[in-house]
Amino acid sequence: MGKVKCSDLRTKKKEELTKQLEELKSELQGLRVAKVTGGAASKLSKIRVVRKAVARVYIVMHQKQKENLRKFYKNKKLKPLDLRPKKTRARRRALTKHETNLKTPKLLKKLRAFPQRVYAVKA
Amino acid sequence: MPSKKGGTKGKQPAPAPDAAATVAKKMDSEPVKKKTSKASPPLPKESVRAKRVKKVKSDLKPREIRKIVKEKARKLAISKALRTQKKVFTIGDSGRKRVRKIRTTVRFVRPRTLRPPRNPKFPRKAIPKRCRMDMYSIIQYPLATESAMKKIEDNNTLVFIVHTKANKYQIKAAIMNLYDVKVSKVNTLVRPDGKKKAYVVLKKDSDALDVANRIGII
Repeated sequence: MGKVKCSDLRTKKKEELTKQLEELKSELQGLRVAKVTGGAASKLSKIRVVRKAVARVYIVMHQKQKENLRKFYKNKKLKPLDLRPKKTRARRRALTKHETNLKTPKLLKKLRAFPQRVYAVKA
Repeated sequence: MPSKKGGTKGKQPAPAPDAAATVAKKMDSEPVKKKTSKASPPLPKESVRAKRVKKVKSDLKPREIRKIVKEKARKLAISKALRTQKKVFTIGDSGRKRVRKIRTTVRFVRPRTLRPPRNPKFPRKAIPKRCRMDMYSIIQYPLATESAMKKIEDNNTLVFIVHTKANKYQIKAAIMNLYDVKVSKVNTLVRPDGKKKAYVVLKKDSDALDVANRIGII
């Protein structure tokens, strides 16, 4: 098998990815057996390659899944907690921008009546 | 046609006044109490009860008689309490008519409430954790030592190093899935170097030697 690349994996569908995963894992099993029974050096060095390939498949699968879920929850009111903006704990609990800019009617009247004046000095 | 109509019309109001009549009868039969007593007529029942008790007394044993008498006394007490309570409330509070529950024991027991099953509006985690114990991670590799070889030939068993957290059921299922064999039983032990060794005994119709050749450990 050629080199497993993430860019190629991302074009694949979920079933294909799962199938590839199975193949890679069984290949890995065979390589481990070869290790025990004294296999060729080429086989032994391949173990690392296959392990990383498995990892890549999982990464792509997970990324796809998350992306699809985000699409699914896009316009919903309640999202799972890991799909909400992370920010920091304090920032999440802070007042929203809208809430901070709210003004009382009394204050609004004052601002309207006495706005900040801007002057220019004639040269 | 007109006769039919008259007939049906006649029928409809007929049951209504009958019902009213029966209700009126009931109201009259109730003993006239001071204020509103909606409690069902206890007085007439008492007399009936007394008659009944007299009848039963002759038949039953004294213990059972006492039981019956107690029961009736208790019911009487409760109905009496209800009556007096209603009286008290309706005399005092003009508009409010809240009936307080009657407590029959001194202990307070937390009432049982409805506990519906969970029905979350959104899952807390978007993606549930994936299972790390799949068959490829349970069975790590087979052993090909001399003693393992002996086991294959003589006892129709295969020897594997398995995940330390795998149990015999998991190992059995994994082997059956991976190598298409029937497993009779699995014995496990933990080696001194911390790994788990599993002796997988195959059934008579599966040959360990064949499987070993297939895997590649011969």
